[in-house]
Order: sequence, then structure tokens, then C-alpha cells
Amino acid sequence: MKISGKHIIEAPVEAVWQKILDPAVLERVTPGIDQLEKLAADRYKAIADIRMGPVKGRFTGSLAIEDKVAPESCTIVLDQKSKIGNVKASITLKLVPLADHQTAVGYTGEARMSGMLARMGQRLLGGVVSTLAKQFFSAFEKEVNG
Amino acid sequence: MRVTLTVNGKPYSDDLEPRTLLAHYLRDTLNLTGTHVGCDTSNCGACTILMDGKAVKSCTILAVQADGSEITTIEGMANGGELHPIQQAFKENHGLQCGFCTPGMVMTAADILQNNPNPTEQEVRHGLEGNFCRCTGYHNIVKSVLHASELIK
Amino acid sequence: METYIGKPIKRREDNRFLTGKGRYTDDIKLPGMCHAAFVRSPYAHAKILRINTEAARNAEGVVTVFTAADGPGDFGVPCGWQVNFKNGDTMREPQHPLLAKDKVRHLGEPVAVVIAATMALARDAAELVEVDYEELPAVTNPQEAMAAGAPLVHDAWEDNAAFDWCIGNDRAEVEAALKDAYHVTELEFVNQRLAPNAIEPRSYIADYDVNADKWTLYSSTQNPHLIRLLLCAFALGIPEHKVRVVSYDVGGGFGSKIYHYTEEALLIWATKEIGRPVKWTADRSEAFLTDAHGRDHVVKSKMGFDKDGKIVAHLTDEYCAMGAYLSTFAPAIPTYLHGTLFQGLYTTPLIHLNVVAPFTHTVPVDAYRGAGRPEATYLIERLVSKAAKEMGIDPAEIRFKNFIPAFDGVKQPGYQTQVALQYDSGNYAPTLEKALEIVDYKGFRQEQAEARKQGKLLGIGISTWIEGCGIAPSAVVGALGARAGLYEVGHVRVQPTGKVTVFTGTHSHGQGHETVFAQFVADRLGIPIEDVDIAHGDTNEVAFGMGTYGSRSLAVGGSAIVKSIDKVLEKGAKIAAHKLEAAVEDIEYAQGKWTVKGTDKSISFGDVSLTAYVPHDYPEGLEPGLDFSSFYDPANFTFPFGTHIAIVEVNADTGKVTLKRFVAVDDVGNVMNPMIVDGQIHGGVVQGIGQALLEEVVYDDHGQMLTGSYMDYAMPRADDLPFIETDRTVTPCPHNPLGAKGAGEAGTIGATPAVVNAVVDALHHLGVDDIQMPLTPQRVWAAMQNVQR
Repeated sequence: MKISGKHIIEAPVEAVWQKILDPAVLERVTPGIDQLEKLAADRYKAIADIRMGPVKGRFTGSLAIEDKVAPESCTIVLDQKSKIGNVKASITLKLVPLADHQTAVGYTGEARMSGMLARMGQRLLGGVVSTLAKQFFSAFEKEVNG
Repeated sequence: MRVTLTVNGKPYSDDLEPRTLLAHYLRDTLNLTGTHVGCDTSNCGACTILMDGKAVKSCTILAVQADGSEITTIEGMANGGELHPIQQAFKENHGLQCGFCTPGMVMTAADILQNNPNPTEQEVRHGLEGNFCRCTGYHNIVKSVLHASELIK
Repeated sequence: METYIGKPIKRREDNRFLTGKGRYTDDIKLPGMCHAAFVRSPYAHAKILRINTEAARNAEGVVTVFTAADGPGDFGVPCGWQVNFKNGDTMREPQHPLLAKDKVRHLGEPVAVVIAATMALARDAAELVEVDYEELPAVTNPQEAMAAGAPLVHDAWEDNAAFDWCIGNDRAEVEAALKDAYHVTELEFVNQRLAPNAIEPRSYIADYDVNADKWTLYSSTQNPHLIRLLLCAFALGIPEHKVRVVSYDVGGGFGSKIYHYTEEALLIWATKEIGRPVKWTADRSEAFLTDAHGRDHVVKSKMGFDKDGKIVAHLTDEYCAMGAYLSTFAPAIPTYLHGTLFQGLYTTPLIHLNVVAPFTHTVPVDAYRGAGRPEATYLIERLVSKAAKEMGIDPAEIRFKNFIPAFDGVKQPGYQTQVALQYDSGNYAPTLEKALEIVDYKGFRQEQAEARKQGKLLGIGISTWIEGCGIAPSAVVGALGARAGLYEVGHVRVQPTGKVTVFTGTHSHGQGHETVFAQFVADRLGIPIEDVDIAHGDTNEVAFGMGTYGSRSLAVGGSAIVKSIDKVLEKGAKIAAHKLEAAVEDIEYAQGKWTVKGTDKSISFGDVSLTAYVPHDYPEGLEPGLDFSSFYDPANFTFPFGTHIAIVEVNADTGKVTLKRFVAVDDVGNVMNPMIVDGQIHGGVVQGIGQALLEEVVYDDHGQMLTGSYMDYAMPRADDLPFIETDRTVTPCPHNPLGAKGAGEAGTIGATPAVVNAVVDALHHLGVDDIQMPLTPQRVWAAMQNVQR
């Protein structure tokens, strides 16, 4: 499944860059994340509970941040397992300064699902992802400005 | 969790796991196995029953949600040895083959005819949209429901 | 005298279904019964690195957990049909383990089974089984499976071919004729994968009785004896006389419940291990993942014509998916049930079909209603209709030009095809004539032209079909690779009071055997239908049988019963002659009694029955009793045929196809119960329409199924359809005593190309000459846009 979207954050690009790579921040603002445990530089063990209509499950696996180009772009690589199916995703974030206090965060990538997620969730998952992304960015914006 | 309800005119009261679906309660606890389960997404309609007179897919609701209600299943349609007019119409029009979707079809037909005693072919087809049959091509089921509307008059 | 045959007798089985008293497998509860839940692969292809069952074992209500290592990995379910490579090499036949051992090869393949006190607890615990996989690349398309470098389904072989096969005339000869042909029509398409979708999901209960050392399997199967044979002799190696298979009521099959599935064998193995009965019922999701699918052919085809529109040659190459393992009848479907129908109804002098059948990382493909014959009919009927458009010939006319002339199989011999089989009897043109008359073909063409002027897109599609069913002489199918005979057993037990119980080895899962069989039994014996009961579905009651599929029940199973009735009447005549003090030659049987010819001296069927069991005054040397069992091995296949015509309207803005009319004029030989035959046709036609317009199983490139529920797999619904208009001609089968040909699959075989031909007819003036099935609004709309640009 292709994933893409864009959000405008009321904060300068450097501030966004710093916070978006901070695991403590990510743990607080990412919807459903229970735990983000550092394994190595830019490598984390992630546990998340996602409950969104029919897509409901506890996901365990890894999260890595790759191809960092400060303060412009990076790629988040996810490999998550759950009882309802596994997800492998690679999402590239691009930060573009719009004005002094505004940054556009664009994301594009692809997620591959297996099991029941692929079978039943695929059609619904687009909506789930965009809702999660909205929640993430609004929480993130509060974090950056708060 | 305790559920108290009436099924086919008889009162029942049982302690159930809260997650028990009405369909499973009817089949497993009350042994009313005429209500069938054909899917897990509430599309096929084989599990259709009447709850307080309305057609409901019993795999879609929890047994506890039916607390206090009056349920009619396929077992409650005939009057002793005498078939209900809808059942009679299905038999006369060969409205069933393997019989698996049949209870759901009969219960849905009851709901259709309650709301619209003189339906057109298209209204019957529309009303049966939530019930799958793989055997009959719906041809004789639609005829059965139209015939039942005559018998009930 | 025929009191019942040919009459629309209401079904005797209906009351139990209509009052909720059907006995489907999942309705059965046994004391101490526990429930199984399977842990299934989330990948199409992966190595199993580690399985941890500890948490599941310790979960509430869990009896035990089994993986392949506990034993089930050593057993596999067999394939029942062997098709060797063209070069003579043996078909590649991998073990199909009851639980996956080191590797999983399709999505949903079982890896472990959890057995617990209730279904809910078993499913809860199944979620606690941890399996580590190393995902591997997968291939799901049969043509891609044969490409160099394609991921291998089975490492034991250098490529994915299970076998390759061809039939018909010499390829070079066919190619030469195509080269010289006046016109050649070409067609490339995918006959898409379908899920059978009986509304009752598969269900099994296995029960081991330790004291008797006996097993009982309650199974939603179409053929209990065949399952017992495969289970005992091949899957588990347990003694056949210790196993009883029961399938009372089965909620539809359509082929998918013919096969011996791993779950069946696993449950029989497990019940002895745990000493308790154990039940498993698939949910719909598991049905999509594990019921054998149908179709899935990648087709490339050429048909050559002379300038008058007569077919001169037909050449087709196909890749036909087998799935990850060979299901029970899988190899027969794209070969002997498919290639042997490439003659169609036409005099085509040169035919060649080449089939490559690869393994793919998908659930196995096997017979689904029609099984190989819908695929053949679709191909031929699309080619002929496409050619008619290209050559400017009317689609009805091109068919009349090419029909094999009528032959009854008695005065005129059967028709020898170019593809091995000999047709039994046929008279093809009248079905087309009748169908054209019903739709008012000329009138429709005017209406179509008028509608087109107003921007309305109407189309008409014709399909003239033939199928081979009621298979067949056992020696012939044996020579073609079947590992079983295809005869049938009919047992007529006359009770002392003259009441009759008939045991048939066929199985009714909607076909109405309890009514239809009783009709001809009552007529042949001249007794009331109320005095006849039909029993099936229990290996302890019925001596043997091959079950119901391939439209064989009446033609083969019915004929076996007729043989036993003949024996009853022959012996009855001896008893009657003795009682009437006449010679056997001097008495005759009619209306339930034997009469001395030319006198009023007679004895009733009931009195003869009683005498047979109370043989006080009895012919010397004659055994008591009136009870006969017969095996009937058919002399040939039967070949029903017919014409289907669809009329559609295509929405010019959205591409949505609305089926306005559907006419089916079929010839299924002699008809016992027209109500039931029509019902079979209606249902079959709608399954064919489903393939044309709605249904498709879609796997993505990684072998994930995108259509694994009713939210994504489009089933035909009541409001997608008009009434199906049926009519018939009757050309009796010359080689069985009932003259019956079979009606179960007819609808599905004929319908699909009629619908697609109609849509193409509606859009042809826009430049559309083919659309890939299913004809979803999106596909039809895209086809219109592509040519309009």
C-alpha cells in the first residue's frame, strides 16, 4: 500500500528536525505506541497498540531511522509483527521550510502487510493511516511548541 | 454476564461470556442450530433472526445486546406441523436447494413482508440483498417471497 | 406407467431445512467434544525458523497443541489423478503434509493446531502460538511461475512444472492449417481464479472410540466413501473397516467439498492422540484461504476460419495453476475435463491444446462447478463470437454453419471428436433456434440499433455449449490417470412389508436426491412414492460409492439403482410365478403387481416382498430376501448441451453492466423432475454470471490475498440479477437406462461467455473487442475510454 501525505507544522525546520528524531518525543506523540526502547543508534524496539475500527492489534518489532540528511530528510523503516498480520514499511520524511515559523513535513512510502491485515484491512487501512498521521502531527506540533 | 430473553415464545436466562455472539448463544447454548453462520463479516445473512420483530444478523450482535428482547428463529416459524406461509411458499417454489441459507432467507422474507405486504420483484430483490445463496441463483427465492405475499393475504 | 417421472414433485427434504432441522456437521455436538483452531501461515512462502507453543499450551482450556514435529508432518493427503509429462516423465507429486514442516508454501497453510475446550478458547490460544518465519519471494501467476528464475514452490525440482500435457491433432498440422486459413482470430486472456463459496463453511468432527478401536468422521463432504478410502489407504494408513464417514446434510459444495483436506486427516489423527472427539469448522476467512479454488488459466489462443466462416483449426496454449500442492482431482481439471471439450459443438477438423501446469504459491486449484469445461466453453465461445465480429458474420449464423449435424447415438453413431472423446448423442441447432426465438433475436437487433441512436448501449451474447459429464467407464478414466474407478453403487432394499429403502453412493448437498431418485424408483416399481426412502451420506449404511460431482448422480448413480430394481423385479417374478402357479414367462409386472398374462390372477409387490422374507411357500432353490446391490460402470461420458443468450445494458457513463435478460435452453437428456432441473440451471447460470461480472480471487505479488472476505470478493446478489428464463429440448442419452445426461454444471458452463459476448456486442461499435473478466464497471469503463481516445 502506498502512503503519502503532507502536514504543515507551525515551527521552524530545525526544531522540527530535532524533535522528530527524539525517541522520547516519538514515544509520547505516536498514537498507540507503548514503548520505544533504544537498541542502537537510530534503532529501536517498538511496541504499539493500534485500535482503529476493525484494525485492532498489538504490534511488536523494530523501528529504524535511515538515510538522515539534516535537516531535510530521513527514512523510517518499520518491521512490525502482530496476531492480525505483519507490517513492513519504509516511509521517507521530507522537511521543507515554508516561512520562519512554518515547516512542511511531507511523507511518502510503502507499507506491505500480511495475514488478516492484508486480507481484511487493506481497503480500510488507508483511512486508518491518515487518521493516525493526523493524530501524530497534531500531538507533535503541541510537543514542538509546548 | 446474565442474559434474560424470550426465544420463540419461551423465556431463557443464562450466564454467558460477555463476548458471546447471539448466533453462538442460539446454536451452542439453546441448541437452536437452524440459525447458521456462513461468514465472519455480517455479509451472508445465514444467521438472520427476528429481534423484536425486526430482521437482525445474529452474528453481528452480542447475546447481551439481546437482553430483554423477543427473538424468533427459524424453529419458531412453523405452527406445530403446519408450515408458516413463507415456509410453504419456499417449498412450493423450490426456493431452497442445500438449505443452508434458507433459515436466513425465510427470516429476512418475514421482515420484508411485514414492512411491505405487496412487494414488487425489484423490492424483493433489494430486500434480499444482504442474504447470499449460492445454489438457487435467487430465482426461486424471489418467486417464493412473491408467492408468500399472496399466501399471507 | 409414469406417475412421478417428469413431474415437478415438491421436495421431500424441504421440511427439515425449512424448519431449522437440517443436520449439518457443525450442528452436531458429541459428549466431551473439544474444538480445534489452526495457526496458519501469514506468508505465501517462508521458512519456518521456530515455533513456540508454550504459552498456548498453558492457556485456559487448552487440551494440547500439535505441530508437524509431533507427528502430523509425517502424513500427507494424496492426489487422486496422475497426469504425466508429455515426455513420459512421472507427474511431480510433492508431499502435502497435514501441518507444514520446514516451509510454508501458501497463505493460510496450517502450521500448528490448538485443541481446547471451546472454539473461543482454542482461537484465543492459537493467537499465543509464536512462529518465526523467514519470508521468501513468492509467485502466484501460473505463467510467471514458469519464467526462468521464478521462486520455486518445491525445491526438489528445477522448475515449477507439475506436468505438461497436450491433446488433439499434431501441432505442426494445426499450425500449418492456421497459416493457410482465410481468417485467424486471436485471443489472450486470464480465466480468473474463483473461490467456490458454498455458504456452509467446511466442518469436520473426528471421534475415536478406544474400546472398539474405531473412528467416526462427520464431514461436510460430497463423497464420504472416497474420503474414507483416501484417509485410510493413503493419508493415515488406518484400517478402512474401522472408519465410518458420515455426511448428513451439506450446505452446498460446487466441487470444493469433493477433496480430502488436510484438516480432515489431522482431526482423525488427533482424536486418537487425545482420546476425545474434536471439531473444526472453518470461518469464512479460512474458507477463502484454504478451500480449493477454481479456474486460474492464462490462455493464448488462435482459431482459423475459411472464407465462409467454417472453423478450420484451433490452437491454444495455456498455463494452468495447480497451487502449492496437488489437490485430489487437480491434475484432471485442465486436462481431461478441459481439453476433451475443445471440439465444442463444432466440426473443427484440427485442434491442438497444450497445457503447462505449474505449482504456484497459492491454495490448490481443483474442480469448481464445471471444472475445466467452463474454461473450454468460455474460450471457444469467445473465439467464435470474436471471429463473427471480425468477419462480419452474424454470431448465430456462424454457429449454425459450424454445428455438428444431429445424431442420436443409436441409428447414427456417436460423434468422434479430435480430442479423444466420442459424443453420445446431440442435436444442437434446435437449442439455438429456440433461444433466438425466445429473445426475439431480430426484434432485439432493431431495438439495439434504436437504442444506440439515443446513446444507450445494449448488447446480446450467445453461447452454445457442450460438456462431458457423468464420467465414465472406469477402465477409460484409469487409462487417463484416475486413481479411482468412477462407477456408482445403488442398493435397493425391499422390506418384508414392501416398503423400499434405496441406498445410493452419490450424495445430495442441494440436488434433491431424496425426491428425484424416489420418483423413478416408485415409477419403476409401480408403488407410491411414500413407500420409497433414499439414504445416502453414511458409509455404515451405504455399501460404497464415489459421491456427487461432475453432474453424475442421476446418470451414473441413478443407473446403478435401476440395475438393482431390475434384479428385484427379476427375482420378484420368480416368487410371483410360484405363488400364481404360472411360468415366469407367462406373467408380467405393471402398476405394482405381477399378473398372469390375459387373466385377472395377480399378486401385489407387497405380497411378493412378504413371501421373500417369510418363504414358507416358496420356489425351490431360491434364496429368501429381496435386497440387491449393484455397481454401474457407465459405457461412456454423457454430453449435455445447450444455448445461453444474455442481453445486457452498459451504462455509457459508468461502465456498469446490467443484465436485462438471460435465456437458457438446455438439453440435459431425459428429465426426472423439471422443477429441480430448472433450479440447477438457475443456480449454475448465476455462478457463471458471477464469474463474468463480479468474482475474482486476487493475490498480490507477495501472495497475500486481497479478496479474503465477502467485503472484497463480490458474490452475486439477488438485486444483481433478473429472472433466468429456462427452456429445454430433450435428446436422451443412448447408453444409460434413464436416458439422463446430467444438469448440475450446465448453467455455469454456458453462462459466462454469453454475458461477456453480450457486453462486447454492446461496445463493439466503439472499437471494443475483448474485456478481461470480471467485467467490473471500472474495467468496462476503461475499455471504452481506451478505444475512444
